[in-house]
Amino acid sequence: MTAPETKVRSLDDPTMFVDTPATIYDAIPPYPPRTEREAEFYTLRDGEMLINIGPQHPSTHGVLRVVLKIDGERIVDLDPVLGYLHRGVEKICENSDWHMVISHCDPLEYIASMFSEYVPVLAAEKLLDVTVPRRADYIRVLACELNRISSHALFMGWLALDLGGITPILYGFLERDEIVEMLAALTGQRLLFNYMRIGGVNGDLNHEFMSRLGDWMSHALRRIEDSMTLINSNEIFVGRTRGLGRIDRQTALRMCLTGPPLRATGIPYDVRRAHPYSVYPELEFEIPTREEGDSYARYLLHLDEIKQSVHIIDQVLHRIPDGPIMAKLPRLLRPRPGRAWAAIESPRGQYGVYAMSDGTDQPFRLRIHDPSFFNLQSVGLLSPGHLIADIMAIMASLDPIMGGVDK
Amino acid sequence: MVSRPWQRLSPAGRVLLPLGVVAGGLGVVFLGGVSSGILPNLWSWVYEALSDNLPLLRFVVAATAVLLFTVPTAFVIIYLEMKVIALQNLRLGPNRQGPWGVLASTLHGFKVLAKEDFTPTGADVPVFTLAPVVVYLASVMSFLVIPFAPGLFAQDMNLALLYFFAVGGLGVVGLMMAGWSSFNKYSLLGALRAAAQIISYEIPLTLSVVGVVMLAGTLSLNTIVHQQSGSFLDWYVFRQPLAAVIFFIAATAEGNRTPFDLTEADSEIVAGFATEYSGMRFGFFFFAEYVNVFILSALTVTLFLGGWNAPLDLTPVWQALGAHPGAIDLGGLGVGLLIALLVVPPILTVLLALPFWMLFTRLRFWQALGIGFLCFNALVGAAVLIWAAFSFDAVMGLLWFLGKTYVFVVIFVWMRATLPRVRIDQLMGFAWKWLLPASLANLFVTALAILVIAQVRG
Amino acid sequence: MATGLSGAWAPPCPQASRSTEGGSDLDRALARRLQTALAGHLRAPVGGRGDTTEILVDVANVADVMRTIHDDPGLRFELLADLCGVDTSTAMEVVYHLWSAGSHDWLRVVTTGLSREDPRAPSVTFLWRGAEWAEREAYDMFGIVFEGNRDLRRIYMPPDYRSFPLRKDFLLPDDASRSPGEGVRPMEAAPEPAVLTGTPADLRHAREAAR
Repeated sequence: MTAPETKVRSLDDPTMFVDTPATIYDAIPPYPPRTEREAEFYTLRDGEMLINIGPQHPSTHGVLRVVLKIDGERIVDLDPVLGYLHRGVEKICENSDWHMVISHCDPLEYIASMFSEYVPVLAAEKLLDVTVPRRADYIRVLACELNRISSHALFMGWLALDLGGITPILYGFLERDEIVEMLAALTGQRLLFNYMRIGGVNGDLNHEFMSRLGDWMSHALRRIEDSMTLINSNEIFVGRTRGLGRIDRQTALRMCLTGPPLRATGIPYDVRRAHPYSVYPELEFEIPTREEGDSYARYLLHLDEIKQSVHIIDQVLHRIPDGPIMAKLPRLLRPRPGRAWAAIESPRGQYGVYAMSDGTDQPFRLRIHDPSFFNLQSVGLLSPGHLIADIMAIMASLDPIMGGVDK
Repeated sequence: MVSRPWQRLSPAGRVLLPLGVVAGGLGVVFLGGVSSGILPNLWSWVYEALSDNLPLLRFVVAATAVLLFTVPTAFVIIYLEMKVIALQNLRLGPNRQGPWGVLASTLHGFKVLAKEDFTPTGADVPVFTLAPVVVYLASVMSFLVIPFAPGLFAQDMNLALLYFFAVGGLGVVGLMMAGWSSFNKYSLLGALRAAAQIISYEIPLTLSVVGVVMLAGTLSLNTIVHQQSGSFLDWYVFRQPLAAVIFFIAATAEGNRTPFDLTEADSEIVAGFATEYSGMRFGFFFFAEYVNVFILSALTVTLFLGGWNAPLDLTPVWQALGAHPGAIDLGGLGVGLLIALLVVPPILTVLLALPFWMLFTRLRFWQALGIGFLCFNALVGAAVLIWAAFSFDAVMGLLWFLGKTYVFVVIFVWMRATLPRVRIDQLMGFAWKWLLPASLANLFVTALAILVIAQVRG
Repeated sequence: MATGLSGAWAPPCPQASRSTEGGSDLDRALARRLQTALAGHLRAPVGGRGDTTEILVDVANVADVMRTIHDDPGLRFELLADLCGVDTSTAMEVVYHLWSAGSHDWLRVVTTGLSREDPRAPSVTFLWRGAEWAEREAYDMFGIVFEGNRDLRRIYMPPDYRSFPLRKDFLLPDDASRSPGEGVRPMEAAPEPAVLTGTPADLRHAREAAR
């Protein structure tokens, strides 16, 4: 297989302005269908039309292509096409150090990158049998909960933006900006923090971070609730999201949903409680759930989770002990040969890493289980029968981040 | 297909060459006219022709003025939208192009002219080219009948309202042309949504106005405004509140404004019918939308809020204070006026420049003088405006009309900043199941009330 | 806590802390239940370390094993946490992670017995429809064919890609062109993309002919 030859075309080329055949814009793929599902999807009945949403689109939460089969405005079927952001992270991690894995896994869930860094670190710590100092554990929880709040604030604004309201996202970004500046004072970075280390964290809490945190905590919850009253009971917003994309418990489990979409159906599964890690067993918080399972419930659930996170941060600030922030580890890490699975609760759901080590300083296999990947599958189940405008609401309420979906 | 010689010209060449051609042509015409003896007699011939057709001339001038008025209006409304939405979003909006960013929309206009102008492959080129023109025409033609001030209107038809709705409906044709000819499924979806939406909402729009027509007894917008003169209690909004609300909602839907902006919902179908348009073609759609906003606000004000009428008729007060057209007799000053005109501007300019020069130390004196001159102009302009407002009914009426209209424009912009979008089935359901019966009910109640009051009175 | 996730369920006591070290905290009761329920299918005794119980299963028995641990009232592993493929250099594996409300531990099901030349495994989409994409990803990255998955096509790589990236012997296509006979797995007989000319009717005709 040779690389395709590229022809340089100049303005003097007489074929430059020849009309291209219109058939190249057909959404019907040129190859024969490979599976029965593909054959079923690309067979159009009378009146149906294939339309493409994405990969460049204002509302697909990243580069996601969705091929819709529509009958007028009603969706008959939909087929998400992934891979536009596939970076081969798992393969790259097999060729890097256990420490370098942190930087590679950072941009997977780029909105909440503390979590995507934390999990490979947790898996490595299991393979190394390292005890993380308690202060480091508390700082990790603090950073993660702050990141969770910023991610949820952005989610709520984003959902409103996809429905047409252009103001709530800026309110969401207002909250997110304060938190992100805080974390920049702590880690030096605003988006991809590179803060977690195997055995602890990178830097201790400093004065600027604590003062920003104190300022923020004094008004945080009140301001978030205040800004979200714009859409919470807005008739148009509620009318667009209530009853939309309703999932019941059985379906949620069958679709391997985790995180807010699962808790909105009433199942109180939260990895922080179901399988506690770090210092969460010592902290008091509730797992908010809702019963309806529709987009509106998922939206309100995010608001409840923000409240719980603020409560957690409050407790952490009262309980944080003194001590070292990094465990003593050799520079060249050679974990014992074996397998480890670690999972945490990220803002989107259960984020897991399955790490296999063969005794060398490079992971043998690093499998990243991203919650958005599994949550996004439900879009195909929930959309048929709705209108095009509803897919945006459904997709936005499931909160996918394409960095994690595509790895 | 672009012609190669045109492509090879530099931008300066592209300006100078047409100018040269036009100048050459004019020169030839001029020489020919002078040499054949037509030119000296041309002036008297033109004068006679104009004076014989004065109404036609008046119409042409009025129509041109109205057409030219739409452009600054659109610019102002675009700026208002950018700034007001920004302030509601807790951000600043344009603040670098001119003081407070006032030149932002003008610069956007220039930018839009400079963009590449292409037609997509497979597009139906004549329809594609004409669609923005049709949409723009539909918006601008409605300007003809709006009464801006007593005596200040382009055309006073006694079917003005009917003309307005007839012409406004042409916009749908333009949108459908745009969507269909773009050879793009998104555009098609947008156009179909637009057609469904606008046609559905035209019915409550027109039905809600029939009540006003019954009260006023005429379709002429001028007469309707005259009927609302007096105090603000005479305005039709107090006699037809339901109709006012229905009209406002239907007008929002007619103008494709949020919450009914599905035709251009950029989070779903990118730009709807205008996805394939770029440059000035898109600028036309953009302009047409904002001109529509102005027209709909103007119509709301005309029909329900008294048009150019002030809330209270204060003419007795002004008369008592001595303000009437002949109050200030400038001609009586004689030579003193001339001296004042020569002496006062420089003195005022310097006086106004001094504070700026003293406060802002980085300014040089000539820069401060420039600012002082601008302030002097603003001051004198304001003084003249105030004098004109009190002396001429038309100016006062225009000020009230524009003030009220821009209040509604800001309300439209406010709704866009705040509200999310409705879905197409919710939108259609709302129009057909709620607004239409409500406007019919309003119609019947109004008719009944008129009959009953007529019986009681006579 | 014997009822599953879909029934009424309360979260476990928040004071239960699990440490990340040691192997002595394994859930013995779970291990016993697994041993009794899956006696014939296990290829090794129930193992595990830390907070994960591990069982080793042969690929032919996967469907039965999954059904048993999903339906058994003592086990009720209703939450599939993860499904992935692994390429140990000698063989292929499919690894499942599950969780149940009946135990604190994760359950790891390691499926062995897949050959590297023609890896096939049964699909678990009959139990969890959400595993469909994970199986597509395992197919895309390793070439593992999941029988029973209605939609087994590539998910990340382009549809006409001819290699499986996460395999240990993966060579990039341009490398493969320089070393003839290596790198490109013969399993994936991807069809050549049709030439893009003609009307849609012609394309459909070409597809009919190729089928």
